[in-house]
Amino acid sequence: MAEIIEPFEFKQCTSIIKSTGKKAKDLPELTDIIAVISDECIFHHTYQYFLKGHILEYTNDFAQWAGESLEESALAEHLSNIDPYEFRNINDLREKIIAVIDEYLKIFPEPRKAIPGEEFYFNETVTLIFPVGIRVKNLAEFLTAIKFVDTGSVYYHFYEARIRLGGGVDDFSRWIEDVFEKKELAEKIRAIDPLMHNIEGIREHLLEAVEEEVRKDMEVIDRCLTSI
Amino acid sequence: MFDQYLGISPKGDLLLLQMLGEKLNKRSFLHINSTREGGGVAEILQRMIPILNELGIEARWEVIEGDPNFFEITKKIHNALQGNPEDVTEDMWQYHFEVNRRNAEKISLEADAILIHDPQPAALIEFKKNGSWIWRCHIDLSNPHQKVSDYLCRYCQRYDAAIFSVSKFARSIGIDEFIVSPSIDPISEKNRALTEDEIDETFNKFQIPRDRPIILQVSRFDRFKDPLGVIKAFRTVKKYNDCILVLAGSPATDDPEGEAVLNEVKEYAANDPDIFILLLPPFSDKDINALQRTAAVVLQKSLKEGFGLTVSEAMWKGKPVIGGAVGGIPLQIMHGVTGFLIHSVEGAAFRIRQLLNNPEMSNRMGEKGREFVRKNFLITRQIRDYLSIWYSLENKGKNVIEL
Repeated sequence: MAEIIEPFEFKQCTSIIKSTGKKAKDLPELTDIIAVISDECIFHHTYQYFLKGHILEYTNDFAQWAGESLEESALAEHLSNIDPYEFRNINDLREKIIAVIDEYLKIFPEPRKAIPGEEFYFNETVTLIFPVGIRVKNLAEFLTAIKFVDTGSVYYHFYEARIRLGGGVDDFSRWIEDVFEKKELAEKIRAIDPLMHNIEGIREHLLEAVEEEVRKDMEVIDRCLTSI
Repeated sequence: MFDQYLGISPKGDLLLLQMLGEKLNKRSFLHINSTREGGGVAEILQRMIPILNELGIEARWEVIEGDPNFFEITKKIHNALQGNPEDVTEDMWQYHFEVNRRNAEKISLEADAILIHDPQPAALIEFKKNGSWIWRCHIDLSNPHQKVSDYLCRYCQRYDAAIFSVSKFARSIGIDEFIVSPSIDPISEKNRALTEDEIDETFNKFQIPRDRPIILQVSRFDRFKDPLGVIKAFRTVKKYNDCILVLAGSPATDDPEGEAVLNEVKEYAANDPDIFILLLPPFSDKDINALQRTAAVVLQKSLKEGFGLTVSEAMWKGKPVIGGAVGGIPLQIMHGVTGFLIHSVEGAAFRIRQLLNNPEMSNRMGEKGREFVRKNFLITRQIRDYLSIWYSLENKGKNVIEL
């Protein structure tokens, strides 16, 4: 009897932005608000940064604001170096962001204020998750699907999954390891640094890794056929 | 009509639209604004209502009626909200309410979701019967006249939610406030693909040569669009690169300064045969489309701007855009990726020269710009956001909604 393969169902997420009505014009105001603002707001400005399709000069909205609106490049670098996936919960991440800014303020106590209109606006999101109607059962189908789906789908399975499932693991490598026991490929996918690429970059790396695996599998089949 | 967006809009947006259409099937969605024609709101509603109906939603669009006195008052309110010092008296507000009351008697306000566009019909909330009421503000509220803004907020606070175009326009008014960017319609006359013949027709009409690169700015003749700055930048560029400047704009009937500015621009251009100043009549969408498609570089050198959708229009046509870093322009131009953000005439000149001298970079930026617009600034995304907000209001308290 044929083995039942658990298919991979592609989903996608879309976020609508909600204003908290809070804004900060300088770093002391920024840290005061970060200390009390909702978890969803911190989540949006850090984890969801990659959903927005920015160029990769920074890794979160706080760093981007420090670098672009305040022109505090060193602080932007410090904040960009925070890896949100290192933290067990949002509060630990929140404290880290505040600590980095406080540390910077000890050295540079009077950084500039943002010009009016360039303040940091604190937002959060409502996220809608929906199936995209694609189920795949093998790596070749997976490869085709990865090329086809929107960036919101790659984001959902590669970034959002790390928080949803805990343990910093994406959906793709988990499925590949669980269903096909391809540990090496799973590890290769896990080695793609989520903070160092935009979603299209992640898609390219995924394609490269999976394509190589599919080619290897085909070569094995080819060899088997030749030997027959 | 919905099918026309297949292969243009992101697949996920179309899919989500269909799913939300199923969830909200046969539910009623009423839009109310103050004009059937003219202006960006009416333009988008004309396209949006048939799409919503096609998705299975009973969408309806009503327009409030008012006399010249009412529109005089609402113009003052509009200007005050954009930061102009205007005196809006208690009597004026009373008249504003009275006109809204009269309209509430004529228009059926029965619907499951009601989207009220801008301040003119905002007082209709006083006649709410049922459904989720959302106030949609299309105005730049970043620096409003406080007294007028406070008065209007009395109405806004009674809504279930408000929608603003940019984060910095949102106010802290104690209701759910969402951020939804405006959008362009890729299949409209202004943005659809054109044939070479159609493009030639426009260029023949205006007698613009096509033997040299064209620098283009499409905007009203308004000092905030800095047309003189554009000419200065062009003159700097001309020392190095032979090119043509086209300044194209329609006269704005609500802008008494328009003619004066146009005259200043003509005078400053001083009959330079390489500067073309086009005063386009209303409904010149195809001509604007042709000009944008033919330009080598598109400028939006604004000093102050609401959202500046002309940026997205040009990006959709694969053009790199150089824009002033004001209003909604930085949301559309990713500096160095889809174009350049500039802060001076010199900056504009320098970036034009960079693009003219690097056609490959220019093409690359244009392609990225088109993809950026595809993902973020098409009408299907805006409809998706409206339906998502409506649906989220029906699932209040949930930050994650699984469909």
